[in-house]
Amino acid sequence: MSITTRTPARPARLRDGPRAPGGRAKRRPRREREGAAWVFLSPWVLGAAVLTLLPMAVSLYLSFTDYDMFEPPSFVGLRNYTQMFTEDPRYWRSVTTTLLYVVIAVPLQLALALAVALALKSVRRGKGFYRSAFYAPSLLGASMSIALVWRALFNDGGTVDDLLSRAGLDIGGWVNQPGWALLAVALLTVWQFGAPMVIFLAGLQQIPTELYEAASVDGAGRWRQFVSVTLPMLSPVLFFNLVLQTIQAFQVFTPAFAVSGGRGGPADSTLFYTLYLYDRGFTASHMGYASAMAWVLLLAVAAVTAVLFRTSRSWVFYAAEEDR
Amino acid sequence: MPGDGGHPGDGGHPGDGGHPGDGGRAGDGGRTKDGGTRAPRSGRTGRVRDDGGHPGHGGHPGHGGHPGHGGHGFHAGHSADGGIRAPRSGRTGRTGRARAGARPRGRGVRAATAALVLCAAVTGCGGGANADGSGGKAVLRFSWWGNPDRAERTERAVELFEKRHPGVEVQTSFAGYETYKQKLATQAAGGDAPDVMQLDYRQINQYATAGVLLDLGARDAVRTGGIDKGLLATGAVDGTQYAVPLGRGTQAVVYDTGAWRASGVELPRADWTWEEWGAAMAELSAADIPAGGEGGAGGTRVGGLDPGQSEDAFEMWLRGQGKALYTRDGKLGFTEDDLTRWWAWCDGLRKRGAVSEARQTTQLDGSVENTPLGRQQAVSDINWDAPASGYEAILGGPGSTALAPMPTGEDGTPGQYFKPSMFAGVSAATAHPEEAAALIDFIVNDPDAVEILGAGRGLPVNDRLRERLEPELTGFDRVIAAHHRSLEDRLKPPPPAPPKGDNALQTTFQRDYDQVSFGRKTPREAAAEFITEAKAELRP
Repeated sequence: MSITTRTPARPARLRDGPRAPGGRAKRRPRREREGAAWVFLSPWVLGAAVLTLLPMAVSLYLSFTDYDMFEPPSFVGLRNYTQMFTEDPRYWRSVTTTLLYVVIAVPLQLALALAVALALKSVRRGKGFYRSAFYAPSLLGASMSIALVWRALFNDGGTVDDLLSRAGLDIGGWVNQPGWALLAVALLTVWQFGAPMVIFLAGLQQIPTELYEAASVDGAGRWRQFVSVTLPMLSPVLFFNLVLQTIQAFQVFTPAFAVSGGRGGPADSTLFYTLYLYDRGFTASHMGYASAMAWVLLLAVAAVTAVLFRTSRSWVFYAAEEDR
Repeated sequence: MPGDGGHPGDGGHPGDGGHPGDGGRAGDGGRTKDGGTRAPRSGRTGRVRDDGGHPGHGGHPGHGGHPGHGGHGFHAGHSADGGIRAPRSGRTGRTGRARAGARPRGRGVRAATAALVLCAAVTGCGGGANADGSGGKAVLRFSWWGNPDRAERTERAVELFEKRHPGVEVQTSFAGYETYKQKLATQAAGGDAPDVMQLDYRQINQYATAGVLLDLGARDAVRTGGIDKGLLATGAVDGTQYAVPLGRGTQAVVYDTGAWRASGVELPRADWTWEEWGAAMAELSAADIPAGGEGGAGGTRVGGLDPGQSEDAFEMWLRGQGKALYTRDGKLGFTEDDLTRWWAWCDGLRKRGAVSEARQTTQLDGSVENTPLGRQQAVSDINWDAPASGYEAILGGPGSTALAPMPTGEDGTPGQYFKPSMFAGVSAATAHPEEAAALIDFIVNDPDAVEILGAGRGLPVNDRLRERLEPELTGFDRVIAAHHRSLEDRLKPPPPAPPKGDNALQTTFQRDYDQVSFGRKTPREAAAEFITEAKAELRP
């Protein structure tokens, strides 16, 4: 669309373009065409406006108010924000818990996804089966039921706990010990490595085999090939997965809610940011405070993503750039 | 019927199908098969419920062929049972007509129509799920929290109510307390509170002051003459009776009779003090009673539940010393020192092994099954009397479970009190205030209903019916009645309804004690944190 209206900055492109300048006259007036486009877009546009943008705007407004869902919101300025940063020790506990979780879960998950993708790459028979089998947990993982099963497995007397205590390691239920509960939630996330794995697998298949051949001619072993060929060639995919999984990890809710029994326990050891947000909003009826927390989370995740993008310049390798 | 503009024949009728805009305005009553007019419901709910969007109504054959409005799900439809469905809004109707005139405009418009039909289909289905099926009855929504036992009894009572009031249909729903609390708050905020709702002592204040509840005192349909004045007053806020207590409950030390007897420790006396209770817990732990149930392979049982996590237990301990959780004007009635002493005492008991370990206590989730006693890791527990019936099934049937009074202060001052175990209130937005009030009256004052409900919500509040019912009680209801009898006339009056912030503080209390029991904070540090949080929560 924009090409036809803009003054041709790159004449060569325009001339080669599919549409001759004269073709415009035959078409129906631009306004009508745009109208039809809007009509077809309307389900999505309406949905985005009414179900996403409007609630976001409302929550931004609410974040400056004291709102208990019963009485109309009263404007309190920045009080929610100052209270959050200066007077609420549990807020900071939720921040450190979430950061700890992201730092544990994301690298572990990506490492496992990459390892399985590498293993699957060389599998010849039943590739589709294995791929589906490893992907299945990701399909199930977001569900409440799996999280509940997870809780049962790691609970006092649960299968995992039982096996470990038979092996002489009596933890007494991971989900009941502050030092272990977070790990149980992290393991649930790690187990759902299917999505990044599939992306890794696709990325691995993009790597030209000549590179490996050349490397082996040069006498590089498997490890050397992995470090010098696979990793650099895969780095854009790795970066993509890293960003995606980091964003997701910051927003983890369902597994944390179920595994911690809905309270972020024991002793606030699984008090994730989202869980505390939920607690403030729906248990304590401080919707204003919860909205403020949501906006801080949004900005924080955006900031982390920006930092990741910045660092990516030093380690992500784009083959296309090299060609220029 | 007030303000029903939806006269049959006005709109959406096959005969004049081309003028959907004439139909009854949204929210107006619709005529139904038996000639009864359905009352309009105020606010959003009414619209969603009463008008169309129900699959099968929108594109009714009677309209189908008319271009421009035939397929619009939100236009007036003539439902199969003869009822008139009002269009969603007058504006929609007009748009429809205008569009019909502009038909020749071409493909773009047709596409627009198609898109709008799609939208209508999507939005229409959202609200219409239970729009019909009531057959012209007044539909009451009644929701409560509780366990399956309570649900079973309630369903039977509601059936009887429906039999007695053929014009009323009651739709029930229930959930666990935590879930219920959150759902109800969201519904109330959206102006969609159920017609009749069960409320906790801790919710009354918030709901009443926010205008969610109807003034029941002004309704003669709810007879409150049979209820003890002090108990009834707990459902009033600033002199207005917003809710009626449904049952009377009190706390108890629940214990496994077999295990306690086997230990050889003296059984609880009616006037035992907290110190004596603590000593008994230590002796029970020392008696090495084998743990039972799953996950208890090998170990022995502790005396009882660590009471440090329970705000209720703390309140009773405070009252035993003549103090209170809250002052009359809704401020904290205790100091950091009080709380430090309580937590330090509990901490000491736990460290000596007299009461449950942190990892046991942290599994509490409101269900009887996940208490240390329920998992047979302890000999006793502290709980409310009505839910305590759940222990019997776990511990081995009738006679396996007994109730003892809560410990008193050192000078014998009782801390526990008869609490309204729960209330019933009516939504201020209800379309059927009379029917809703009648349902509450039925639950409280009808002899048959009271018999069906038994002690499932605590002992009945109607004194006459309670006395009549008591000899007929069976099973654990009997144990509860005896427990109440043993405390009658000994307890102090209940405190006024807690301030609204208390709703959240109950959980905070448990969390802060978690920090103590897992050894992450000293009792003093945790108490200071709780006081800070409580002050923020109670800020007006």
